[in-house]
Amino acid sequence: MKYLISSALLSLLMLGCSETLTRVKPYEKEHFADTKMTLNILEGRTEHEGHIFLIREASAGGDSTFQGGCGCR
Amino acid sequence: MNYILIFLLLTFNLFAEVNVGDKAPDFTLKTLDGKQTHTMQDFKGKVVLLNLWASWCKGCKKEMPAFVALQKNNKKGFELVAVSLDDSKDKATHFLSTLNQKIPFTVLHDSKKQLGKAYSCSAMPSSYLIDKNGVIKQVIIGSLDSNDIKTLQNEINKLKQ
Repeated sequence: MKYLISSALLSLLMLGCSETLTRVKPYEKEHFADTKMTLNILEGRTEHEGHIFLIREASAGGDSTFQGGCGCR
Repeated sequence: MNYILIFLLLTFNLFAEVNVGDKAPDFTLKTLDGKQTHTMQDFKGKVVLLNLWASWCKGCKKEMPAFVALQKNNKKGFELVAVSLDDSKDKATHFLSTLNQKIPFTVLHDSKKQLGKAYSCSAMPSSYLIDKNGVIKQVIIGSLDSNDIKTLQNEINKLKQ
C-alpha cells in the first residue's frame, strides 16, 4: 500500500513536469504557420509609415524612436 | 518495487514512437471530398506510402509533385495514401488545386489528427513505407527530394516482389 501511494504521488509529480502537457506537436502548428504570425507584416507597415513620414516632413529618417531627422522632435 | 517498475514501464509506453518493424496503426478516414471512407485494411496486399501532410507545411508542397510522379510510375501494387492533417478540408483542397495536376493517389482528411497521434509524428511532413502485410518498413521524416524518391522507388520495387 505504501508503495502504491508513493508510486501514485511520483507519477503525479512527473506528470506535472511532463512536456507533453504543454508541447505543441508538429502537426498542430497550423496557426503558428499562418502568415499573420510572421513579422513581415509589421515590417511592411513600418516601411509604409516611414514613407508617409518622408512625404509629410519632406525629410528622410524619422523611423527611429530617437530624433526624427528634421529637428522637430 | 514492483509498482515502481510497472509505473516506469507505463510511463515509457506513453512516449513510444512508431518504429520500423511495427504493425502500421489502423485508421478509418474519409476522402477529401467526403464521398468514401478508407481503412488501413483496404490497402492490404499493396505496398503503401502513408504521407502525413498539411497545406501550411512548406516541405509538403515541395514533395507533392514528386509523389504524383511516384504514383503514376507505380500503377500496380503500390498505393500512396496522403493524409491531410489540416483543420479544414477547404485549405487542403485549395493546396492540391495549386499543384495544377490531377491527383492520382488517395487523399484522406484527418481533422482530428488521429494519425499524427497514432504515428507519433515528430515532424511535418512524415512518410511511412508499409509493406503488403501492413508492417512499417521505413520511416521518413521531412520532405523528399528527387534523390530520395529514387531510393524510395528501389525500396518499393523490393517490397512489391
